[in-house]
Amino acid sequence: MKNFKHIFVAVLFIIILSWRSYYFTFDDTVMISTNILIIVFFLFNLLIRKKLLFKNYLINQYNPLTAKINREYIFDILKGLMFEKIIDVINNSDFNLVEVNKEKFEILATTKFTFKSWGENLYINFEDIENESLMTVNSVTLFQIYSSGKNESNHHYLLNEIENSLIV
Amino acid sequence: MAIVVNLDVVLAKRKMKLKELSEKVGVSTVNLSILKQGKVKAIRFSTLNSICLALDCQPGDILEYVD
Repeated sequence: MKNFKHIFVAVLFIIILSWRSYYFTFDDTVMISTNILIIVFFLFNLLIRKKLLFKNYLINQYNPLTAKINREYIFDILKGLMFEKIIDVINNSDFNLVEVNKEKFEILATTKFTFKSWGENLYINFEDIENESLMTVNSVTLFQIYSSGKNESNHHYLLNEIENSLIV
Repeated sequence: MAIVVNLDVVLAKRKMKLKELSEKVGVSTVNLSILKQGKVKAIRFSTLNSICLALDCQPGDILEYVD
């Protein structure tokens, strides 16, 4: 089913490209404007990706230019300690720690650029629930309407790293 | 029925701070704090060995089975 989804997206992508080249020529104003707009949005997202300040723009459900997966995890460790632990985990993983807000208990980490993806942003924040902490993780693509499973694998990888780090 | 971690008791007896133990053992203070609270999934023999060496104690002083 997962492979079928990827094939469907690839076919759709090819159809859109063919349709574009059939109806528009390279000197067409609409074609040029569309391409410029796409490049501008890409560069804009590239510039703001390393700032926690623009978190709401990238994770917003109405932002059609990014694919995102939001998950919540509960740990029986208090927020303050869990926050420090996750910083420790990210520093010892393949993620890059980009920005930390100790007052709001927010973390921004990124993944590396691969052939499948421009790299994703991971926005992590914490809340206390009695004697436990609620960790919310948002994995967002930089400029992809469709994610080829990278967001999902980021969640799995982070959880695995946390599990492994709980063996001291 | 649970395994209770008495690391804080042994630390208090030795008048040693967690940071000091962390430097001696080579385990981060965050991990030692989580261990102290008994929230870790497992403890390596090598870590237990280093803690016992640093605190001059037995594994039984740190870990206790409570019925």
